[in-house]
Amino acid sequence: MEGSAPAVRVAQAWDELLALSRDEASERQLLERLLDLWRKEHGTAAAGLYLENGEALERQAVSGAGLPELLDGSAAVDGFGSLRFPGGRLLYAPRRAVSPEEAGFAANDPLTLLLAASLKSCRLKQELKEQQFQINYRVVELEALYDVGLAVASTLDLDRLSEEILLRAVSLLDARRGALYILEKGSLEEDRYRLAGTFGGAAAPWFDGKDPELRAFLTGGNPAPAHLLPGTRYLLGVPIEVESGPRGLIAVGDKESRRGVGPFFPSDRRTLSLFANQAALALENARLHLQALEKERLEREMHLAAEIQRQILPKGAPVVPGFEVTGWYRPARQIGGDYYDLFPMRDGRLGLVLGDVSGKGMPAALMVSTLHSALRLLLDQAAFGPALLERLNRHIAESSAANKFITMLLAELDPYSGVLHYMNAGHNPAILLRGDGSVEQLGAGGLPLGLLPEARFQSRALTLGPDDLLCIYSDGITEAESPSEEEFGMGRLTDLLRQGRNLPLSELVESIPRAVGEHSQGLPQGDDQTLVLLRRDG
Amino acid sequence: MTESLNVTVDRRDGLAVIYTEGYINNQGGEEIAKEAYKLLDEGYKALLLNLAGTKIVNSIGISILIEIIEKMLEIDGKLGFCCLTPTIEKTFHIMGLAQYAPIFPNEDAAVAQMRA
Repeated sequence: MEGSAPAVRVAQAWDELLALSRDEASERQLLERLLDLWRKEHGTAAAGLYLENGEALERQAVSGAGLPELLDGSAAVDGFGSLRFPGGRLLYAPRRAVSPEEAGFAANDPLTLLLAASLKSCRLKQELKEQQFQINYRVVELEALYDVGLAVASTLDLDRLSEEILLRAVSLLDARRGALYILEKGSLEEDRYRLAGTFGGAAAPWFDGKDPELRAFLTGGNPAPAHLLPGTRYLLGVPIEVESGPRGLIAVGDKESRRGVGPFFPSDRRTLSLFANQAALALENARLHLQALEKERLEREMHLAAEIQRQILPKGAPVVPGFEVTGWYRPARQIGGDYYDLFPMRDGRLGLVLGDVSGKGMPAALMVSTLHSALRLLLDQAAFGPALLERLNRHIAESSAANKFITMLLAELDPYSGVLHYMNAGHNPAILLRGDGSVEQLGAGGLPLGLLPEARFQSRALTLGPDDLLCIYSDGITEAESPSEEEFGMGRLTDLLRQGRNLPLSELVESIPRAVGEHSQGLPQGDDQTLVLLRRDG
Repeated sequence: MTESLNVTVDRRDGLAVIYTEGYINNQGGEEIAKEAYKLLDEGYKALLLNLAGTKIVNSIGISILIEIIEKMLEIDGKLGFCCLTPTIEKTFHIMGLAQYAPIFPNEDAAVAQMRA
């Protein structure tokens, strides 16, 4: 081919390249063949085609040996001739030294023009590839947001979600590092940002919410403070917010490129904000879920506590010769602070107790359990009398909070003699409706239990005659209010006892809360209600 | 979680398995490329990238992996991936890597297929 005319040589080269193309040769193979032809045409030992890539030039094809893979775009290469093309360069090793003017000979040569066109084609393909890459990567971004959205909806594992969100943000923003902080309340109810996840390096375990730089970033739109990710040169952070306020923050550091690290682009802030929005949803979902779990746990515990309370109440009324006895109890909440018990004692005697713990709910229920256990143990060890109540009082005082106390009426009935010994520790006076219609009250004989460890108590006694009816009650009965804030009172209770004195006690005891309910006219029950009725047969 | 990537290689009778552990970013991608090109120089034409130890890859890392795939195609070699996280597998499908380098669920399946 070297001996033929230039036009013929170009036509032959063209045919050869077309044949190679039909044989599915790669672009590099085509370029290398073209360089072979060019090198032979111009008598050079080696030739290489370079494409601009940023500040450097990357070799696309080479014919012959000794040409570098990369060129610095600004500098000439010693010992090589060079032709500048749009977007690239042809580098060649001359067989002999040539001046720049001599080197210019090739610029208008058809093979050189073909090389320049090929390089342009390479460049266009490269740009197309780059654009396709960017488009695909935008799809990856969208998919990532979609996936995180799905993860938010499908899992409430906060640690896993935090890691997922952080990894996606770091990878999609081409960051080297990242950290995600979640707002939580400190021991003194101060805002604190706790590290929920970190990637690529250490980050502070927490930040005080009062940190001025952090506040300026979270609420004033200032850049993220540098100490969020120590050691990073370029930092991008956004707050994680829900409608009700901040929930945390996410930060990434040092955006990567092929040439090292640099600042983040404005579009990166938008992407990170989208992840922060997803994180906000996740955190809010998880928080609400934890709240619901906690509520469920408390309800389960309350249910269990209520069951335990039911277990310590008497299972039905004991049989006492010559007497009828019953009890009734309804707590204002699931569990209550009232307590009653009917239990057999030595020599066929009957023990009766009704107690009312100050306060309501779980603390009161725990004191009820303490009272129940301690009383049963003491009654096994000590005789009925002030000493027993004084020991019980000391125990309650030592084992309960300073502001907690229990009012209680404890009685012991000798069914054979009808004698009732009782001790009233600050409780409402029990009502004794005598068979002749007169009324007596079994008033206080000491302070409520638990107030003073050294308190003293009195025991009193009375004899129950035929048809005498004793009613021990808690203040939830007498202090139940009507809509006009009028209390049910002892008067109404006494009237009910009078009206129903001949009813079976099971009916009478039901009629009292019914009347109290009618008095309250649908108002919610404000306090636990408890009754113990004892009647001597006529 | 580590920032840098650890690469180990297991050479097995014409097939080399490259194990990665860590972030496939610019540095991580370059590490993989360095090992891959070394293996090509040694005459290996079938490379399997086991990414079981990698949970995260960025766009720079992907572009380097694409370059390795292109290089393998030029020499009529084979490159495969295995043990990818679902996120990375989806990313490779979207970015077109899976079109030229098959993805296998585990190493045994990959080795069997690539030797076939």
